[in-house]
Amino acid sequence: MTVIASEWTKLRAVRSTYWTLAIAVGTAIGFSIVVAYAFASPPSHGKPPDALLPGFASLEYAVLTAGALGALTFTSEYSTGLIRTTFAAVPRRRMVLAAKAIAVAAATFTIGELTAFVSFFADQAILNGHHRGVSLSQPGVPGAVLADGLLLFVCAMLGVGLGALIRHTAGAVVAVAGVIYLPAAFGALPPPWNDRVSRFTLFSAAEQVTAHHPSLTLFAPAISLVVLLAWPAATLAAAAVTITRRDA
Amino acid sequence: MIEAIDLGKRFGPVTAVDGLSFTVRPGHVTGFLGPNGAGKTTTMRLILGLDEPTNGRALVNGHSYQHIVRPLHQVGALLDATAVHPGRTAWIHLWSIAQSNGIGRGRVTELLQLTGLEAVAHRRLNGFSLGMKQRLGIATALLGDPAVLMFDEPVNGLDTEGIMWIRQLFKDLAAEGRTVLVSSHLMSEMALTADHLIIIGRGRLIADAPATQLIDASTHQDVLVRSPRGDELADLLTARDAQVTTEPDGALAVTKTTAAAIGDLAAAHGIAVHELTPRHATLEEAYLELTGDSVDYRTAKGQP
Repeated sequence: MTVIASEWTKLRAVRSTYWTLAIAVGTAIGFSIVVAYAFASPPSHGKPPDALLPGFASLEYAVLTAGALGALTFTSEYSTGLIRTTFAAVPRRRMVLAAKAIAVAAATFTIGELTAFVSFFADQAILNGHHRGVSLSQPGVPGAVLADGLLLFVCAMLGVGLGALIRHTAGAVVAVAGVIYLPAAFGALPPPWNDRVSRFTLFSAAEQVTAHHPSLTLFAPAISLVVLLAWPAATLAAAAVTITRRDA
Repeated sequence: MIEAIDLGKRFGPVTAVDGLSFTVRPGHVTGFLGPNGAGKTTTMRLILGLDEPTNGRALVNGHSYQHIVRPLHQVGALLDATAVHPGRTAWIHLWSIAQSNGIGRGRVTELLQLTGLEAVAHRRLNGFSLGMKQRLGIATALLGDPAVLMFDEPVNGLDTEGIMWIRQLFKDLAAEGRTVLVSSHLMSEMALTADHLIIIGRGRLIADAPATQLIDASTHQDVLVRSPRGDELADLLTARDAQVTTEPDGALAVTKTTAAAIGDLAAAHGIAVHELTPRHATLEEAYLELTGDSVDYRTAKGQP
């Protein structure tokens, strides 16, 4: 507990934390409103877009800032050398990894859910004006909105893990962006291989768990949730293995 | 107490620390000396469990550092004063470290007072001078009131007042029965603070002895004698097994006897003596003589 308190103090006390989270929340809610307006008046042909898509699509930039926030908890300490003071105070390095992850998780989970629900109510108010909105009482909707809120946390954990593994801010942030965005290229594979590969990616898994009408050619939302959480879990596990083996 | 037992560390082809064995005892300020690149910092990092030794081990109070729970209560260290997050304040920096070891706010405030940083406690560290960061680093090391303290080049960046303060602090900490290890590449600094010296060069132990003993052991210890009848006095001294060499200006440099014996001998023979000066090598000279080899070796090694 004392180590978590220490990491929470560190996180709370730097301005970049507030900056990063403000940018995440601001862009997410702002973009979702813009997207909702765009969806409110779609072309008359074709099926109407998923009513929950604005909430998901608008997180595209926010997830990267969350990843950077997570990565910085380690990379800022490695770049300044502060990590040696941290490890000298807490020689059980996995405790440091866990404490940093928990502190960042608490912040990004809270902010993420808050953003998701604010976006949801704003978007649906706009869509309802054109009778395209959905309500929280409809099946599948609460879970999808909760999942939206989970995405900042997922990417922040990815950032913590990659930050501990890579140690350099730029490298870690690029790696976070790579894991999030690069797999979109799999969509260009010829069917059915595009979906067969994509369903294992973080992006498609996130799309599935946050949609009102998930795709039938990808994993079901429950399995997609496992895939979604497996990415940060695997990264943190790799960090836990290497953190005790490398010189600080 | 700090113990290094056949401690070694290789970084690829470079051997930074090569089979070091020494013990740092409580109640003394122990100077850890060596030329730049001798392996002082690496040794300290090995002691703190930050680097994994390639061979041997280091113990603090009989334990491996990694196995100490809340180690700040036993060991305090200042490795690199500039290793701080520039966006945090001095107070937050200390408080976050204190929290990790269950140390209270009162102790943080107390140390900011002790190190003279009270007035700047809530300023962000990017505005701190190197000297202020050194003081903050010393405050960090003292947080848990530990019995073992290690400081790596703590004098860097301090002003004269700061240097006087830190010397006294080290002496006080040792007088309280703590183990104090202070590294430096400057013998002149250690001469004023340390009463025991561990000297290393190229990762190997060169000397581990009380400071005074290192001076006594030095070969440069003689008596300078000036006399109008120098030749006559030289013959008398040589006859009594003293060794006499003549300096370029005609003065005699005498070894293997004492100033008192020379004075008595001259008086007994009615020889006037104009100067009679016992010459001790300074600690600095003893150091250069000891580390000279390890530095020369490096230069020679670079030659084809």
